[in-house]
Amino acid sequence: MASKRRGVGKGALVAAIVIILIIVVGAVYMMQGQKKAEKVVVIGVTDKITDLDPANAYDFFTWEVLSNVMAGLVKYDPDTGKIVGDLATNWEVQEGGKVWIFHLRKDAKFADGTPCKAQDVVRSVKRVMKIQGDPSWLVTDFVDDVQAVDDYTVKFILKTPASYFLALVATPPYYPVHPNYPDDKIASDATWGGCGPYMIKEWVRDEKLVLVPNPHYYGEKPKNDKVVITFYSSANALKNALESGQVDVAWRTLNPEDIKDLKSKPNFKVIEVPGLYIRYVVIKTDAPPTDNVLVRRALAAAVDRNEIAQTVFKGTVEPLYSMVPKGLWSHIDAFKKYGDGNIDLAKQLLQQAGYSEDNKLHIELWYTPTHYGDTEAQLAAILKEQWERTGMITVDVKSSEWSQYVDQLRSGQMMVSLLGWYPDYLDPDDYLTPFLASSANGWTGTGYSNPKVDQLLKQAQTLTDQNERAQIYKQVQEILADDVPYIPLIQGKLYVVTSENVESLKISPLMFLLYDTIQVKG
Amino acid sequence: MGRLLRYVVVRALLIIPTILILYTLIFIILRVIPGNPILSALGTHYVPPEILKEKMHRLGLDKPLYVQYFDYLWRVLHGDFGESMVIEGRSITHDLAYRIPATIELTVWGFTVSVLLGILTGTIAAVKRGSRIDYAMRVYGIVAYTLFIPWLGSLLILLFSVYLGWLPSGGRLDPSIDLDRITGIYTLDSLITGNIYAFVNALKHLVLPSITLGIVLSGAYTRLVRSNLSDILQADFIRAYRSRGLPENKVLLYALRNAMIPIVTYMGLQLAILLGGAVLTETTYSWPGLGSYLFEKIQYRDYSAIQGTIVVFAFIVGVVSLIVDIIYALVDPRIRY
Repeated sequence: MASKRRGVGKGALVAAIVIILIIVVGAVYMMQGQKKAEKVVVIGVTDKITDLDPANAYDFFTWEVLSNVMAGLVKYDPDTGKIVGDLATNWEVQEGGKVWIFHLRKDAKFADGTPCKAQDVVRSVKRVMKIQGDPSWLVTDFVDDVQAVDDYTVKFILKTPASYFLALVATPPYYPVHPNYPDDKIASDATWGGCGPYMIKEWVRDEKLVLVPNPHYYGEKPKNDKVVITFYSSANALKNALESGQVDVAWRTLNPEDIKDLKSKPNFKVIEVPGLYIRYVVIKTDAPPTDNVLVRRALAAAVDRNEIAQTVFKGTVEPLYSMVPKGLWSHIDAFKKYGDGNIDLAKQLLQQAGYSEDNKLHIELWYTPTHYGDTEAQLAAILKEQWERTGMITVDVKSSEWSQYVDQLRSGQMMVSLLGWYPDYLDPDDYLTPFLASSANGWTGTGYSNPKVDQLLKQAQTLTDQNERAQIYKQVQEILADDVPYIPLIQGKLYVVTSENVESLKISPLMFLLYDTIQVKG
Repeated sequence: MGRLLRYVVVRALLIIPTILILYTLIFIILRVIPGNPILSALGTHYVPPEILKEKMHRLGLDKPLYVQYFDYLWRVLHGDFGESMVIEGRSITHDLAYRIPATIELTVWGFTVSVLLGILTGTIAAVKRGSRIDYAMRVYGIVAYTLFIPWLGSLLILLFSVYLGWLPSGGRLDPSIDLDRITGIYTLDSLITGNIYAFVNALKHLVLPSITLGIVLSGAYTRLVRSNLSDILQADFIRAYRSRGLPENKVLLYALRNAMIPIVTYMGLQLAILLGGAVLTETTYSWPGLGSYLFEKIQYRDYSAIQGTIVVFAFIVGVVSLIVDIIYALVDPRIRY
């Protein structure tokens, strides 16, 4: 009897301890949870950050991050799309566009309170020139020298006048970086940053990047207390995270099907942004059978862009009829003269080139299966179908992994291939010179070279009048549509999907998300 | 004891050729497949050819293959896994050291779930031998063994994260939570620092990945426990226990203890499969461990990162197998060494 009583006593004691433990742990849990009342914005992406150093970063998403933690001399106004002063209050152009002088604001500081002066700009730009990282050509091809006239005046002396120099200055290789960045070495994981609206609080590569407002920022205070960027391995994982409430903003890049699905759900907002991202077909022009311009024109005529936009991309893209995207000045629908899915014209051109239903043109079409998302195989399949509708073309679809693909591309091993392009700087030049100048063969492998085009592009570079430049670029686009070394296919729209509690959000004309504008309710 | 020591030394030395063979294989495979890590990272960006050439030179990619082979091997022997081919100046040793705790945390939990599930289902099947329940457990064993981790993972995410909203769909911790990193094993770090909120959150993040990994690996245990336990339950000593009127649950406990010997050996052998499963689980759940690291680096053809991860995987498997062998040699008198 006595032992039974002792047993009950022990059991009660254990139960009491467990209950107390649960209460204490629960209370601590609740208290610790309540501390998280700050306005945190979680942005999910499938992109990666390469180098947190503008001397070597050369990809779209890293540039977006850098543009939020650093500031340039000039920037794009998100409302008007025009270039306005940022660190520079004003600037002067001398010697017909060869010398550019920028006057800096005096209240700019790095996140640790160090003032940001002309010497920082000079050191940072010279650093890019010295390190010779991937994007360094954006500086070295144009800038001969950069000098600090005084603490708040920077002078750029260019090799030749460049009319779009302001657009170049708005890119990260021109951003002043904190003095801690070594002069002659790339600092891929550097967190010192620049003098932009945010500073880096925590950086775990491929896992998360935590940003908090730069306390010394001269501009408007960010609308949130913290931005956390989380990295996902696939669009599917990103969508799951958005739907389970783990991220507030799903940014680059969800699949077209996911966007369509999320549009139909009331608790998400899908924001559509006209993008300057383009997709196109690359054609080798210096080897048969595509060295025949009639063949290239026939391929251009048979392509049905509307069908591609609707079937493959579920209406999330727009048809594109030039390498210069719609919305950017000087754009003309140069390829519209061939029509869309114009099989009759394609047949006629093929006949002129000596092909018939008995003597078919054989095309090798290459694509890369993962780099451009899951839709790529479908895109290749539909192009094959469209070209074969002529009855005079047989298409052999081939694929290779991205690392091999770019190798094949540069060495000109692919007859016809699929590619995409994001702008480096916002100017028609960035959609024409890297593709059509003879020097472009270093990476496009098309073998295309037209002295007239070379001369026009060079001329447009040196002119300062935008109207005159636009005329030249229109002429180049017409030559492009005649010679067809590329067939423009579609222009991407960008999609940001947010949970319903995200109230405001802005995107810059360069398609960068402006983190300081994101406001989360509650 | 002298013989045991000799056995241990010989067995330990055998890890070296194993790693060497794997390293050689992966080195050859990476170089045989066409493609260049620098071009892969650059993609369609325009970069002047002289800059590319200089970069290739800096990373030693212009050296003859045998020089590259021995250069890297020499570094690994000094505990240096080299520098990333894609990210300038990024130390692979640092990356691996950072990622290992995440994989350990996942594998330990996944392993625990698999053993518990396996023992539970196997025991039920053995006790109810010949019944419908036995049949169901046997089917479970086969089905679990053949399940594809990304498929099961996606299914669980859809149900528990997207539709029910009970558990997170990926990652190790909510991004808004600050946790001081001590060991890198979040459940442990949160307890050490007294951060209960982070502990609960880390546990929540662990549930789906460990269950996914656990279910898939439990199939083999189910079958093993069932067959061993069935045999033992018919053994003479069990009959003796029963005839003496020992309660059935105690009899079962004794039987289970005896049935565990071959299962423990199997646990050691499971390690390689466990790590393989972790690669798939990590990519499904965006779990930042060694597996997802390997997956990402393969996409970029980052030679040094891939080689380094494989060497580390081989080393872990080698060392754990060695430990299992030694324990087995000590415990089981039938083992000769």
